[in-house]
Amino acid sequence: MKILVVDDDLHIQRLYKEEFEEEGYDVVIASNGEEAIELFNRENPDIVTLDILLPDIDGIRLLRQMKEKNPKVPIIMSTAYDYRDDFAVWASEAYIVKSSNLEELKEKIKELVKK
Amino acid sequence: MDLAYKQHIAETIFEHVHEGIIMLDREYKILALNKAMEQWTEKPVADLVGEDSKEVFHDGMGICPHCVASSAFDKGAMTVEIQKGIREEVTKYAELSAYPVKDGNGVITGCVIFMQDVTERMLSQSEVARTNEYLEGFIDNSADAIVTSDLDGMITSWNKGAEKIFGFSREDALGKFYPSIPDFLMEPEREMIERIKQGEVLRDIETFRKKKDGSIITVSLTLSPIKNAKGEVIGISCISRDVSDKKRVEKELVRRNQEFSRLFFISSAMRGTLELDRLLRMVLTAVTMSDGLGFNRAILFLVDEKENVLRGAMGVGPSSPGEAGEIWERLSMEKKSLSDMIREVETGPLRKDSFFDKLSTGMSIPLDEETILTKTVKEKKFFNVSDINKEPLSDIILTQQLGTEAYAVVPLISRDTVKGVLWVDNYYNKKPISDEDMRFLSAFANQVATAIESARLYEQLAVAEKELANIFDSIPDMVFLIDSDYFVKNVNSAVCKRLGKQPEEIIGQKCYKIFHGKSRPWEECPHNKTLESKKEHVGEVEDPYLGGTFISSSSPIFNIKHELIGTVHVLRDISELKRLQERLVMTERMAALGEVAAKVAHEIRNPLISVGGFAKRLEKKLSGNLKEYADIIMKEVGRLEGILNEILGFVKEMRIVKEPVNSDKLIDDIISLIQSDIEEREIIIKREADGPIELYVDPGRMKEALLNILTNAVHAIGSNGMISIKTYVQDNTAVIEITDTGEGITDENMPFIFDPFFTTKKVGTGLGLSITHRIIEEHKGSIEVKSTPGTGTTFRLFIPLNAQKEQINRKGGVV
Repeated sequence: MKILVVDDDLHIQRLYKEEFEEEGYDVVIASNGEEAIELFNRENPDIVTLDILLPDIDGIRLLRQMKEKNPKVPIIMSTAYDYRDDFAVWASEAYIVKSSNLEELKEKIKELVKK
Repeated sequence: MDLAYKQHIAETIFEHVHEGIIMLDREYKILALNKAMEQWTEKPVADLVGEDSKEVFHDGMGICPHCVASSAFDKGAMTVEIQKGIREEVTKYAELSAYPVKDGNGVITGCVIFMQDVTERMLSQSEVARTNEYLEGFIDNSADAIVTSDLDGMITSWNKGAEKIFGFSREDALGKFYPSIPDFLMEPEREMIERIKQGEVLRDIETFRKKKDGSIITVSLTLSPIKNAKGEVIGISCISRDVSDKKRVEKELVRRNQEFSRLFFISSAMRGTLELDRLLRMVLTAVTMSDGLGFNRAILFLVDEKENVLRGAMGVGPSSPGEAGEIWERLSMEKKSLSDMIREVETGPLRKDSFFDKLSTGMSIPLDEETILTKTVKEKKFFNVSDINKEPLSDIILTQQLGTEAYAVVPLISRDTVKGVLWVDNYYNKKPISDEDMRFLSAFANQVATAIESARLYEQLAVAEKELANIFDSIPDMVFLIDSDYFVKNVNSAVCKRLGKQPEEIIGQKCYKIFHGKSRPWEECPHNKTLESKKEHVGEVEDPYLGGTFISSSSPIFNIKHELIGTVHVLRDISELKRLQERLVMTERMAALGEVAAKVAHEIRNPLISVGGFAKRLEKKLSGNLKEYADIIMKEVGRLEGILNEILGFVKEMRIVKEPVNSDKLIDDIISLIQSDIEEREIIIKREADGPIELYVDPGRMKEALLNILTNAVHAIGSNGMISIKTYVQDNTAVIEITDTGEGITDENMPFIFDPFFTTKKVGTGLGLSITHRIIEEHKGSIEVKSTPGTGTTFRLFIPLNAQKEQINRKGGVV
């Protein structure tokens, strides 16, 4: 199982990488939208965690680009804001408010990967 | 019949006939005379037989039978003469008929003379002759025009006076319809003729007549019917007197002797009249009345400074020759004096219907044009244009629209400014405007200008007063006047609206009763304060009787003697304003907060996640104290994240998803959330409801909103108390009323309770009530708070029902 983590914060990249690898996932990291699309195409991830605020592109457009490439890959949107209502129209599979407690995120990943 | 008898009869007749009979021989010796002759003789007739007639009838007496006898002898035939004589100092006339007496040979031997007293006849004859003579002389030599006509107005006689006055000769006039009547007077004159036919006499009518050369003169007319012996009207006599000269003399007199008294009268009348329209009409009436200034037409132009034009304000004068005639005729018959007319204009209804007036008021002359009118304004002097054809600057508008050929204009100057121009002409009688006219007109104009100035000021004042009254009534603030005895003198409509009363129910009442529902003056009343200090007083007043918070300004009113006679109050209801202000402040604060929060979210959340996340990783790998330390870090980070979520939950754009919610169930759900807490604290929940209300709200959000209030209520009570929750519908709005028996909110804190981060608790974010406020606002509702420190607090949430239904309907429509 391969997770693509899209986040521009280096510490969070490392935290996610270590935590997910401990759970037995392969983790690929993208720091911006350009890298994210490249890795999404090249690495064929099974699931994506996507921060909504990126330096070069907003998460919503990135979500759409990815869904256009491969709608079957589940994407979990995460951000500092509670944008839940705004994303209702976008077909992301899940939405979480980023937290230091990664249990909710891990639960969501597990759920989505099983399907 | 024998001879003797015949002789006797003859003698008897001879003696007794009334006619005198005398017989003379050729030598004029009296042969016989009868008794009747005694009226002609000085001596008894018996003594006269045989006397010489020439001596008996002497020259001194004037009667001479021998004279007529002499003629009869000469002619040899009957001769008749009338002789005039004096008998006992009375003039007598005798008709003497002398019959010659012939002998058998045809020789005249004497004559018989019959003398008849014809004095009466003669005298009456000569009287008629003399009267006729006198009349003829009178008529012919009269300076007046004496004219007669038949009933159709065809001239039957035309005297020298008429020839002289009218210029038409007798031959011109005879058999024609009155040639001296001007065309414009034809109609009224015919009406007058009709009246004469009815036997009426019209005396001293002042009117106009036309001379043969076309010029118009002023005449005084007397018209009377000519009747025959049966009293039938068979003709009309018309005596016209040329009063142009008389007029001139009169006017001269008026000007010399009465100019100032007249000016005084007119100007005092004008000063008394402050209505501009009326004043202008008075001015123009004075200018056009024949015993005023006597011009035919007059127009007042006023300077319009804004538009820089001279604008016709009013015109007085006939619009046609016919109308001119009628007016003059009527005025002359009504015998109205200038003062009558002025008084009529001063007090009567304003007539503003004449064609000429309309024509005049439509005129507008740009002041930058170079014409006589504009020069009058610019050079502040009068102009007398005696012939427009010789004056290149004459005003085309006047010549074209009014047909004037000669006119005069004077400036109306007040305080060294030209306020307008008075224009006059004599269009109908073509009378030239003299220097004297101009002098009087100028003197008059100065009075007019001052009066117009006052009238204009007054008019402005009147407009200002009206405006003031309008403003008074349209001010949304309550404005009212109270006199020093607490009586309400005047109120505006805002007061009536607020009190739900008519002005008459308020005015005249005591103010403390009307405004405060009290039976005696209220000590805190601004009116009292103003009465005491005699200074204006401004303050914020909360009046439970009127129901609201007001900024009250009360100012003293002084009379001319500087005595305080009352106060004027302006009350502005600032309840709404306060609410708006508070909302504005909150909105601003929240907008600012939103920006800050967004930054905080970006800058803090990611580091927090790293700190917390790695602490957890540490915690897993450590043991003992170090594991505990890592745990503390984790938990503290968790708490920070919670605060951050609370802040961001408040800041984020809230999306509410509404659905029908039963109010009872909603409240039950919330109570269940705090159930354990209230049981612990021994707080009783009291529920009151008219029945369940179907609300259309976001249940989650609404729960959050109500929970914040209930949590605060619980904290305010601490322990042992009661929270009552009431639900009811009022004005199509659902009301949820939550009252606690807690410590209450102090006045200092009250304005800030909905502010984000405002809290009096030792723990908490201070966001609860601002979130509640926000949620209720999102539902288009409102919140009201009343609190008494020490007693408790009541929150009322108002949630509109109408909007909900609409939304339900819309939703239903989509589905």
